[in-house]
Amino acid sequence: MTRVSVKNLHKDFKIYERPQDRLSELILRRQKHTVFHALSDISFAVQEGKSLGIIGVNGAGKSTLLKLLAGTLQPTGGDIEIRGQVAALLELGAGFHPEFTGRKNIYLNASLLGVPDKNIIELENDIIEFSELEYFIDRPVKTYSSGMYVRLAFSIATMARPDILVIDEALSVGDLAFQKKCVQRMNEFIDEQKTMVFCSHSMFHVQELCDTAIWLDKGQIKEMGDSDKVVGHYEDFCNSKKVYHSISEDIPKEEGASTETEIKIQDCRINSLSVKSPEGKELDSLTPLADVHLEMEVEVLVEGFEGNFGFAFMKSAEEPVASFLTTDIDQIHKGPFKKGDIFTVSLTIKNFAMRVGDFYVLGGLADKTGLLWYETKFSKSLHVEPNKGVGPIIMNSEWSINQG
Amino acid sequence: MFFTLLRQWVITPVENYRLFHHFTRQDFVAQFAASIGGFLWLFVTPIAHIVIYAFVFGYIFQLRALPEFGQTEFVIFMMIGYLPWFAFAEAVGKSPGLLLEKAGLITKVLFPVQVIPVVGTVVPYLTHVIGFCLLLVYLAMQGYFNLLWLWLPVIFFLQFLFTLGLVAMLSALCVFLRDLQQIVSLLVTIWFFLTPIIYPITLIQSEGARELFLFNPMHSFVNLYREIILIGEFPLVNFQIILPVAFITYLIGGWLFVRIKHAFGDVL
Repeated sequence: MTRVSVKNLHKDFKIYERPQDRLSELILRRQKHTVFHALSDISFAVQEGKSLGIIGVNGAGKSTLLKLLAGTLQPTGGDIEIRGQVAALLELGAGFHPEFTGRKNIYLNASLLGVPDKNIIELENDIIEFSELEYFIDRPVKTYSSGMYVRLAFSIATMARPDILVIDEALSVGDLAFQKKCVQRMNEFIDEQKTMVFCSHSMFHVQELCDTAIWLDKGQIKEMGDSDKVVGHYEDFCNSKKVYHSISEDIPKEEGASTETEIKIQDCRINSLSVKSPEGKELDSLTPLADVHLEMEVEVLVEGFEGNFGFAFMKSAEEPVASFLTTDIDQIHKGPFKKGDIFTVSLTIKNFAMRVGDFYVLGGLADKTGLLWYETKFSKSLHVEPNKGVGPIIMNSEWSINQG
Repeated sequence: MFFTLLRQWVITPVENYRLFHHFTRQDFVAQFAASIGGFLWLFVTPIAHIVIYAFVFGYIFQLRALPEFGQTEFVIFMMIGYLPWFAFAEAVGKSPGLLLEKAGLITKVLFPVQVIPVVGTVVPYLTHVIGFCLLLVYLAMQGYFNLLWLWLPVIFFLQFLFTLGLVAMLSALCVFLRDLQQIVSLLVTIWFFLTPIIYPITLIQSEGARELFLFNPMHSFVNLYREIILIGEFPLVNFQIILPVAFITYLIGGWLFVRIKHAFGDVL
């Protein structure tokens, strides 16, 4: 069943230079505004049990689209058809009253979402438990940290079990542990055949949670499809834009070909990234002190490419644990490669030293100097099977007892 | 179309009773949350105002209640007009800020926005009906009670509807015209002095000028309260004015609000 269907959606904002222009336009019927097209010609549909990710740079229209879906904005043109109850988390804690306790706010927020009180009485404990706010729930929410705010808001919105959940940047505030819990909750959500529309700057979460993704650019759909693909192309675009920004300004632009040139600038691409055991089996979890094999397949897009490669174990998108770079290593072949060449970069880690935790592997491609990173790619999450002992790391060691 | 909008307006507090209830309780309690005086502050302001006006008009200007009202003390005469006025003035005075304060909520959460003016009117009325009832109990003990008092809830409710219509209109318009915030507080003050609350209407000499006061619905409300409570008479002409005025204001205000509420998201 189609839960959300959007057809030819347009949203314009009227921009008035001065507030009195709005009034004089109403009275005198003379046009005083300029129109800003926030969204134009957006069409998509989301089926039951599916999730949609919306990505794009700041100001691309993501939040406007979510507000239209949530119903707090009215479209200028086109149709939005929504079947089922929607809960929108556009701004976490939007309905909270700072002077009241968390518990009171649960009831207030739930009534905003349209959940009857008797259901909330049943769910109250679950909400408190999920938000991990047991000690703070009877204190005014103005004393909460932003993370606590988000946790409470997220717990309420998802506990209410709507048919469609619309979330804007929900995960960016919580800590990693809570992010993980949220992802789990959202996955449960999808398993229950609910529908989700999700907007984030965390590409990892979009890939992980969404089946399809829409890349919005200047209010239009630039690409729609399989989330892995769309996210990949979007990351390409962002990377090339970031790195070559000053250069691309110098290059004389041909009319109408601006986006084309931005993409062509990329010299190479990571096709795949995998984590394997020495026997060549793909791994989901790691054993401490075992050997691990990291591989990425690289495709060269320009003639005579020379570059550097890197891998890193990451705790989160910003927190590396260990890194491996080829910049100081001369024994390996780093080019030049021919256009269209496909090769595999692999790295064997001996005696994997972490003992607990979850990690991602990050693969990266850089230019000859090792300063410009063309592309980075995350693997899926890897879990370390802890062995007996304490402490975060383990070392390869040998015992001996000598009597004498 | 016209009737669907009106229906939306009229049945909102019933249909969304839970939300209405939570909002009202929240706003009511929030008035004195985190203050030491708490609930007491609700009475301090009107009492202080009454004392000031009683001092200025009763003592300095030597205004006495008139024989028409059975030689009642000036303070009592004034309070009967002032307490219901205070509920009206507070609701109308705050109305331009109602939606602006909740801008975050309105743009981020989908809910029936029309409960906001209802809550914004109910809260001051709830607050001041307490003071008004205390005054009535006191007067009943003084032997003023008569059967016409049974009309008081009806008139008070009509005043509530009249206020609600104005609040809905002003709160919605203020989204587009922020200047209303300043204008409204000024108008409320002017309106106060144009309503015979702290002075008896008989002070106005010219018969024709007194007739003009009939255009001020608040005068009719105040006069109804006074004549019913103090001398047990029912000024029919005032009732004939407020009955249609209250309903028409309520319906037009609500209709306007529901009509333009979809545009709030664009402007807030």
